[in-house]
Amino acid sequence: MVEAMGADYGGGMRMSFQEALDRLEANLQEESELVLRSLRGALGALEQQDAELADEVIAFDDEVDARYLEISQGIEQLLARQTPVAVDLRLVLAVLHVNLGLERMADLCVTISKLTKLTADLRPDSTLVEAFEEMGARAEEMIRVAMRSFAERDLGGAESLVDLDELIDRSNRRVVSHVLDLGNDPAIREWGLRMIIVSRCLERIGDHAVDIGEQSAYLVTGEFREFTDASHPEGVSELGE
Amino acid sequence: MSAAAGQLRRGRPRGLWTGRIFLGFLIVSLSIGFLTLGALLVQVFVEGYKWVDPVLFFEPPSADPLIAGARPAILATIYLGILLILFSVPLGVGTAIYLEEYADRDRWYNRMLEINIQNLAAVPSIVYGILGLAFLVRGIGLGRVLLAGALILTLLVLPTVIIAAREAIRAVPDSIRQGAYALGATKWQVVWRQVLPASIPGIATGSILALSRGLGETAPLLLVGALTYVSFNPTVLGDFTALPVQIYQWIARPQEEFRTLAAAGILVLLAILLTLNAFAIWLRNRYERRW
Amino acid sequence: MVTTPLSVKMADVSVNLAEQVRELPPREAREVVFDVEDLTVSYGSNKALQDVSLEIYKNFVTAFIGPSGCGKSTFIRCFDRMNDLIPNAVVEGRILYHGVDLYGPDVDPVEVRKRIGMVFQKPNPFPKSIYDNVAFGPRVLGMDDHLDERVEKALQQAALWDEVKDRLKDGALGLSGGQQQRLCIARCLAVEPEVILMDEPASALDPIATTRIEDLMHELKREYTIVVVTHNMQQAARVADMTAFFSVTRGEEGQRTGILVEYDATSKIFTQPSDKRTEDYVTGRFG
Repeated sequence: MVEAMGADYGGGMRMSFQEALDRLEANLQEESELVLRSLRGALGALEQQDAELADEVIAFDDEVDARYLEISQGIEQLLARQTPVAVDLRLVLAVLHVNLGLERMADLCVTISKLTKLTADLRPDSTLVEAFEEMGARAEEMIRVAMRSFAERDLGGAESLVDLDELIDRSNRRVVSHVLDLGNDPAIREWGLRMIIVSRCLERIGDHAVDIGEQSAYLVTGEFREFTDASHPEGVSELGE
Repeated sequence: MSAAAGQLRRGRPRGLWTGRIFLGFLIVSLSIGFLTLGALLVQVFVEGYKWVDPVLFFEPPSADPLIAGARPAILATIYLGILLILFSVPLGVGTAIYLEEYADRDRWYNRMLEINIQNLAAVPSIVYGILGLAFLVRGIGLGRVLLAGALILTLLVLPTVIIAAREAIRAVPDSIRQGAYALGATKWQVVWRQVLPASIPGIATGSILALSRGLGETAPLLLVGALTYVSFNPTVLGDFTALPVQIYQWIARPQEEFRTLAAAGILVLLAILLTLNAFAIWLRNRYERRW
Repeated sequence: MVTTPLSVKMADVSVNLAEQVRELPPREAREVVFDVEDLTVSYGSNKALQDVSLEIYKNFVTAFIGPSGCGKSTFIRCFDRMNDLIPNAVVEGRILYHGVDLYGPDVDPVEVRKRIGMVFQKPNPFPKSIYDNVAFGPRVLGMDDHLDERVEKALQQAALWDEVKDRLKDGALGLSGGQQQRLCIARCLAVEPEVILMDEPASALDPIATTRIEDLMHELKREYTIVVVTHNMQQAARVADMTAFFSVTRGEEGQRTGILVEYDATSKIFTQPSDKRTEDYVTGRFG
């Protein structure tokens, strides 16, 4: 007369529900791989001043958009038909936010590529190019750390993104001040202004990665909290244990 | 808070004495019935228990009370009982099945049938006796035989069997029938394989109670020819008597001993009837369905 | 840091796109089991259901939802001619089962019920042993060869075998509610139907038992076609491929008649229903 309790019961409906959730996460990770590729391509085009590669990155954005749409529809279906609650609901909502963030990141890569095309004929400044190499590497690292801590529900990993983001922010500020010192040549000035936008894009990518980290924290703790806030510069220490 | 709590505490409940008087009245009514019955039983028992012996069971009646027994009467009562079951149960159950499962309630003849069954249960037993005399003994020329007695008792108890069987059949939930139909069973299969088996306990109980009523009847048997003095063992198509009749005959005799013999006979009859009833109750309790 | 250009890698991208939204097969690829044409059901002078037309597809789970009194139970009972048992029920219109009108003059209801089984709202096991419950159908239909195997197979399919295999001779009424309902499903499966009708099969059960029944529906639809009436919308959202929403209209004298409002893929009904009445119902704004 004893019915099996929910925890150790598997099969049928619940399996396909769990399957759908797993697939959603898998697609999200896939999407992040695409974003990374996009970023690498954009950075490569920037460093080599390769307009062709830049065009490919812009075209590649369609792939990311397709994945974004697929995941959005999946979320809609899951919410409508399965009415998830508790941890399942938090997962779906977190996926929703991360999906948005990844799509934004891909758009920022497109912006970088467009700017690359615009400045393809201008003479670059080697210091800035080096700085972008470094910022790009940092951004790539942040995306990886963010997605990994999401997959592993790693709160510590998520929180470490704040420090990484701080490095990009500092680099961004240095780029701006460096551009101001570039000189009066109109060509170099134009290049400099465009590069400020590129720097801003990379900084934004870092911010989105932090947002992903916040979603990981939400998944784990059930509370949504901003890691840093302009009005609370104390930042991470607010989170506590 | 304490005001509300105060209201909860026991004070003088309303209608306390009315309740108590009512309870007292109930107890008194109960007692009158039980005490009277108890007194009667005790009196019979005291009078007759010494005479309940093998002589009673194995010897035929005689003018001499010391060697008189009730063997033919007891045997006849047993035969009557068997025939009664054989006739009344199939007829009663069949009628009940027809009325519950097959009859269309809107038809006038079915409604007539329903009403008449209720009426028949209330008819005095002597009327059945006259019926038996007119139609069975004389009408079809059966004569004053055991079979006639059995048939007339069947008619007497039939309404009871029908009503009990109907109750038992009605108690089978409709969901059982629906489930059986949904599997592709025909009406007959549903009745025979689901409804009847499920209602057997109720039918059995009702039949046994009907039987015990029938065996205690005297008037109809007298009218269809139960003789008051029979010294040979009865046969189905022969002259007969029955235990109630035998008791009646003994009481009518002048000798004191016959009266005590009658008391003994009553004890035997009571024992038979009470055993049957107890069996019916045991059956009902054992096989009662909780739906 | 710069590797090969993106274009070379684009080839393998599409393959990884894991299917997130499972679409139903298109209309042409579906096999029609029931074709209902202008079905109207009345009890005496009360029209319970009016002019219903839809198709039921093979190996789909189809759900009927709607407020109480909308005729969905009446409707499902038409598919196995159980409305025949109600004296003043009148059925007009047609239900074609693989092209044959179920209410045709020379159609035997017993044959219909052999192929189209039904599970009821309140579990109704017979007051017999577990074995005899499952064996009843085959016995009355003359399928009593290899009875033991049939009983075992049916109980396996109903996900009940492991729980009762050592006590087949025990009374069925001793099982829990959820087990009893699975027994009723096994009983139904034992006669090898094509279609299983379920009239609110889980409404009398606790949540865990309900989940097991829903999982069972998911399993069974591979071999059978399932039609389920449910008053629990979320259940329909979870289990059904197609969902039909019924509602109530009032006549001039205030009589209530059921009508079919919308019938579509479940994913559509619960994300973007075409009819406002459907939307009002599924969002809980109705009644």
